Amino acid sequence: MRYVMVIDLKRCIGCYGCQIACKSENATPPGVFWARVLKQEAGKFPNVRRSSLPLLCMHCQDPACQQVCPTGATTKSDNGIVEVDSDECVGCRYCMMACPYGARYFNAKERSYFGQGLNEYEKVGYPNHPTGVVGKCDFCRHRLEKKLEPACVANCMARARYFGDVDDPNSEVSHLIREKRGQQLHPELGTDPSVYYLPA
Amino acid sequence: MVKTTTEIWEDEWIPSACSICYNQCGIKVHRVNGVVVKIEGNPDSALGMGRLCPRGLAGIQMLYDPHRVNHPLRRTNPEKGIGVDPQWERISWDEALDIITERLSKIRQDNPHKLLFSGCVPSIAPLFVGLGVWRAAYGTANAFLSDGHQCGNAEHLLAGTLHAATTTNPDLAYCNYLLIFGCHVGFSGYYAYTTMAQRMAEARSRGMRVVVVDPMMNTAAEKADEWLPLLPGSDGALALAMLNLLLNEYGIYDAPYLREHTNATYLIGEDGLYVRDGASGKPIVWDAVSSMPRVFDDPLLKEPALEGSHKVGGQWVRTAFDMLRDSVREWTPEAAAAVTTLPADTIRRIAREFGEAARIGSTIVIDGKELPYRPAAVIYFKGAHGHDNAWGTSLAIELLAEVVGASNVPGSLMGCNPVNFGHPDTGMPHYQPTVDKDGMLVPGLWFGMSQPGTTPPPFPPRDPRKPRFLNLIDLVPWPISTFLPVITNTQPESFGIDYKAEALVNYGSNLVMSLGNPETTVNAFKDLFTVCINLWVDETAEALADIVLPDTCYLERLDPVPVWYHHHHPVGMGDWTCQIRQPIVPPAHERRHFSEVLLDLANRLDFLPDFQVMLNLFYGLKPPYALDPEAEYTWEEICDRIYKGWFGEKRGLEWFKEHGVLNWKKQVEEAYWKPFTHARGPIYFEWIEEKGRKIKKIVDELGLEDWDMSTFKALPHWRPCQALQPREGYDLQAIYYRVPFHTFSMTYENPWLDEVSRLTEPYSYFISINTETARRKGIKDGDEVWVESADAGRVRGQVKVVEGVHPQVVGIAHNGGHWARGMPFAKGKGVFFNALLALDLKHTDMVSFTMDCDARVKVYKT
Repeated sequence: MRYVMVIDLKRCIGCYGCQIACKSENATPPGVFWARVLKQEAGKFPNVRRSSLPLLCMHCQDPACQQVCPTGATTKSDNGIVEVDSDECVGCRYCMMACPYGARYFNAKERSYFGQGLNEYEKVGYPNHPTGVVGKCDFCRHRLEKKLEPACVANCMARARYFGDVDDPNSEVSHLIREKRGQQLHPELGTDPSVYYLPA
Repeated sequence: MVKTTTEIWEDEWIPSACSICYNQCGIKVHRVNGVVVKIEGNPDSALGMGRLCPRGLAGIQMLYDPHRVNHPLRRTNPEKGIGVDPQWERISWDEALDIITERLSKIRQDNPHKLLFSGCVPSIAPLFVGLGVWRAAYGTANAFLSDGHQCGNAEHLLAGTLHAATTTNPDLAYCNYLLIFGCHVGFSGYYAYTTMAQRMAEARSRGMRVVVVDPMMNTAAEKADEWLPLLPGSDGALALAMLNLLLNEYGIYDAPYLREHTNATYLIGEDGLYVRDGASGKPIVWDAVSSMPRVFDDPLLKEPALEGSHKVGGQWVRTAFDMLRDSVREWTPEAAAAVTTLPADTIRRIAREFGEAARIGSTIVIDGKELPYRPAAVIYFKGAHGHDNAWGTSLAIELLAEVVGASNVPGSLMGCNPVNFGHPDTGMPHYQPTVDKDGMLVPGLWFGMSQPGTTPPPFPPRDPRKPRFLNLIDLVPWPISTFLPVITNTQPESFGIDYKAEALVNYGSNLVMSLGNPETTVNAFKDLFTVCINLWVDETAEALADIVLPDTCYLERLDPVPVWYHHHHPVGMGDWTCQIRQPIVPPAHERRHFSEVLLDLANRLDFLPDFQVMLNLFYGLKPPYALDPEAEYTWEEICDRIYKGWFGEKRGLEWFKEHGVLNWKKQVEEAYWKPFTHARGPIYFEWIEEKGRKIKKIVDELGLEDWDMSTFKALPHWRPCQALQPREGYDLQAIYYRVPFHTFSMTYENPWLDEVSRLTEPYSYFISINTETARRKGIKDGDEVWVESADAGRVRGQVKVVEGVHPQVVGIAHNGGHWARGMPFAKGKGVFFNALLALDLKHTDMVSFTMDCDARVKVYKT
């Protein structure tokens, strides 16, 4: 089985809901975005297009991050999820340099948002983020274990995200990728990402 | 997420309702060991259907913001003003309420109107217990909403008169062509946002075309099939040209609808008023079959003529429809092109596309009922109507929908739930429009939750009177909101008012930042005894408050029925949802729920019985659940009675605490009510003309020179707003826009949302300027500039050079730039747009009390 996420760029409204859904689900520290959105514009006034590109770890099947990891902290599971074992990670950050999608973040030291010690929420959430190591999206593995979709999928207001097993040819994600011509980001790099985008 | 190894002694999901904006979406809150660890949408609620916007997801950081105000404060520095240190002293609740009671008691005995009551809509449930109930029981008419320039005055007035509701929304389930004027419906905020975002994505996926009229490419224009960047304040000219094309060139209009559901056939005399039957006083139409005048509801009337001039009672009279057609003739596409800067050919094409998409004459069967099918919708909000030409502009846009019959039928522009038959077990809540003696539509409810409510609707209009109230709501008795106390309180004698306000109760609003230029607001209110009840010691508390009371946030309080059905519940078919807002955690420190404070104050001020009578009216409570005016209740007991009064003995407070949500199915006759009534919406606003003349008489007597009467017209019209008029040395218009991750200025204090603006989203903390304009001025991306208003202040910010904004416009998101000591996280973030807005009559549409929410500016480097 191989988990993939399909993001329909036609439906996506670039609201940053995925970024905050991820943040509130995973209690990521300040400046850390396991999910985020890029905005860009093209053309000249008045023929302008603005577009939004939601990003997260691509869970590549040939992950550049894994190849450079000196300790074997980054592994690829049987279900396709690329994971970081924080006990094995030594914080060398080679993987951050290698990742073509900017999906990884280094948690240097414990920081609070309001800058005066951790608040009640952060006290509960931040111990899950050891310092001195690299972290990233794990497709909300803890939710998958409970048969729940990743937080960004479950919350998406435009219902622009789909999640499922691409090895099952009858799954919704397989259908969408086939029928709506799902594209991977930077396929020329040969990383074989598990996030597919449907055209806007 | 909880991966912690600590022992878990509690792990609960509690149903409740969001309140980070006015939409009150259904939520489920995850509480572990007494701490809120996650907020998700509640899939059982029609308000959001399990999905939340970024703001709603970020509510945890509002709850646990260490900068919240935690105990009552008293100002010890007698000096007030921007930047002044109030030298707060912590006091007890008893001391605070004693001080407040003493002041408000004296005022109430002297003249209760000397109390101003103000608030802001995100905390809409307690706000209306204050604004709609407590204020009325205290006896002051001087209420105002201090979301000020963010409020939809003209839109609400038209929603009330054409749709019998408070707001409007398009019926995306059936719409094929959506024309959006200055609004982000389904993309960023707006009514029923989280549900509408889902419907919008679905509609666009099935091929609905979206055309966005907006000076700036924001969230809606980004997703539009076509972007029409026009000059701010020129939307009315575009709509008038489209009306002209539809009515006079293309001949695309829905004659049967106009005859049956509008006053298009009513005859208008030379005086601009209805021609009325001498005996009955009813409006007269021309019977085309018998060639004679008849009253509009004469059973002998065969076919009311839509067009033509006729001689009745010795004068030549014309149908309202003819008058409309003639009045728009001057608006050729070329004339509109000159004003909007849009190509005339584009205007022609859009008008035809819209008219044809309406599929006039077609029907659709829904739940076994055959209904008119008009899958073309217009929708508009602040970008279009937030100008001092609000009335004429909004009316022009609304009439696009009316002339093609695309109003309150499948696929069209819809009033937000004006008909509610209530739960099948009890028939509560209940309200529906009625028909007045002239055949016109009368809203069934205005301010309130179930009939009768506490405030009469804008129609039928009351007669204008010489002002006694500082909000001038007696002189112009229909706007929903007004910032006018800011003007009148400094010079009441100019308005013939013989008193000044002495106190201000300000709930959940930051009016020093939210109304407009802050110096004007502080100057107007600095002599008032001011009580601020809020989450933070914000700019308003710092500049004005004598007493600050610590409020609960929405995760700490109990609000019965935190949904306002005719304001933000989703339109069209689907479920009705009633829900609860309940405390997920107890209020920390000494924070108290405003509704409980109001109950306490009503008691201390000796008007508890009046307060409880008003609560009965507001919630439509009847025996045995109506409150006994003489009894004393806790807030929980009142909430229990409201739920039981609505849904029966078994579904009281405890039931709602456990279940969170009660749903029942909306009926076709509720969702698409228009074809089932005989009520007519006006295409000719005779009463604006008629009451306008009475207002003019009073205004002339008072000698109010800046009061512009030119917009009091029965038909749509356009003149440039103040900011659109050329001014020597001021070559640009500054507009504000909304993004999906902020509410007004409040969320700049939320670190997760701040982070979106600051680190991942490229525009919202910057001043957007078009590439060509920036080049001409020698301004580069990242430069610090001043934006200076011709009529008010100036603001500083960093430039983002973009293509997606009209070359004659600068765009600023929301209203940032906080400076209060009590909001240190928000301090200095974003740009304080409102400093640019002049608060005066000249920049106000006097029909709807709408401010010009853009400004004539120049931009230069610091």
